[in-house]
Amino acid sequence: MSFDAEREPDEAAVATDLVRRIAAGDSAAETALVQRYSRGLLYLLRRLGAPPELADDLHQETFRIVLERLRRRGLDEPAGLAGFLRGTARNLMIAERRKTVRRRTDADPEGLERAVHPAPGQLSSVLHDEEAAIVRRLIAELPTDRDRQLLLRFYVAEEEKESICADLGLDSLHFNRVLFRARHRFKEHLERFQARQGPAARIG
Amino acid sequence: MDHTDIEEQQIVDRYVMGKLPAEEAERFEEHFLSCPECLEQLELAESMQRGFKRAAGQDVAQIAAARQLALVAWLSRLSRSRQMAVLAMALLVVAVLPAGLALRELARERSATGLRNSEEVGKLRSELDASRRDLTAERQARASAVEQLAQARQPQRNVPILFLDAERGGAGESSVRLRLPRTPTWIVLALTIEPPHQPSYSAALLDAHGHELWRGGDLRLNESDSLSLSLPSSLLAPGDYTLAVEGLAPGRKPVAAGRFAFRVLG
Repeated sequence: MSFDAEREPDEAAVATDLVRRIAAGDSAAETALVQRYSRGLLYLLRRLGAPPELADDLHQETFRIVLERLRRRGLDEPAGLAGFLRGTARNLMIAERRKTVRRRTDADPEGLERAVHPAPGQLSSVLHDEEAAIVRRLIAELPTDRDRQLLLRFYVAEEEKESICADLGLDSLHFNRVLFRARHRFKEHLERFQARQGPAARIG
Repeated sequence: MDHTDIEEQQIVDRYVMGKLPAEEAERFEEHFLSCPECLEQLELAESMQRGFKRAAGQDVAQIAAARQLALVAWLSRLSRSRQMAVLAMALLVVAVLPAGLALRELARERSATGLRNSEEVGKLRSELDASRRDLTAERQARASAVEQLAQARQPQRNVPILFLDAERGGAGESSVRLRLPRTPTWIVLALTIEPPHQPSYSAALLDAHGHELWRGGDLRLNESDSLSLSLPSSLLAPGDYTLAVEGLAPGRKPVAAGRFAFRVLG
């Protein structure tokens, strides 16, 4: 995989500029940093297993730590700002896990678990059911059994692309095309559903 | 970051599936922190994968199939000559056993004629009857095994799948209901386990009176942070059931990971 072709020079240049300006006391640069990385950081924290409320808290805490550090000392490698943000978020998440393990020695660990992790909402269940319904529609729309097999083997059985292509006699291009179209159709159905349900029906 | 490569190598899907090597995952994370396009794709891929798994009941079918097809898998792993040997052995048992028993019966009949003691003759006949009953039972058991094997070779259709979320607060009436299938089959339970996650789990199936019907240990979460169990429908009668799940970590006491209730209807 090549990581250096399109965006990396831009990212490095933007990051270096932000780090330099924040070190110089530019508050607009701090706002720009938060705007640039906020969504990705929140996604990363949820991906690391943080429930929504905890993810929000750690997201704030990550920016607080990073901004304080940049104001005081800057970074040895300003272009590595994204890596620094990522590392800080991961460390906070690890510390939070350790804290949760220690809390479990309290008298009512189940009560704590309930308080920390609320039940999945009804809306979330509806959305997940809709996702499954969209997949069924998607499968039904596919023109060939081979394409159906491809998607099921990739998404359900999680087989590797190479083995699927070898078994079904496909080339990489066809494989990518089927996946691309399926994703596109899935997105269309999903957006239609979200439009029907209103702004609350956002899957994430 | 090259989006052509990301598309070409299914980086987004592989990241969501947790199949990206650690170093690549790290670099991709650093990339998507500031890449709205990749974040869109990640959320879409998560949603799509969740939909596929929910629709197909992937884990559950795997477990149900794995259990039912264990015998088939064992047979298929044997070489063709061994498969033939197993088949020949089975035929031999079917063909020779009744003949052997018939000869035994004949011999006993003959010796019985020489016996003047009617009590001994009666005893011998009752033994013979017992042997016949054993043979009949064995034939029925074999026929049933052959039928089960034939079923196991077929894809399982309409396997009932229950997606269960942990109860919150006091134990109320479960909203998840299962109607028992007319013919015995496998029932699959998919339990969503909330974080923090443990290395392994144990689960106990309790009836409405709290009697333990089944217990399993060393259960591991799948990629979707769920535990999947398959149970034969014959284990369940109409009534309320609870699955009590505990998280297990080495050197620590088990910790409650959730109670999952469901109701079985006749």
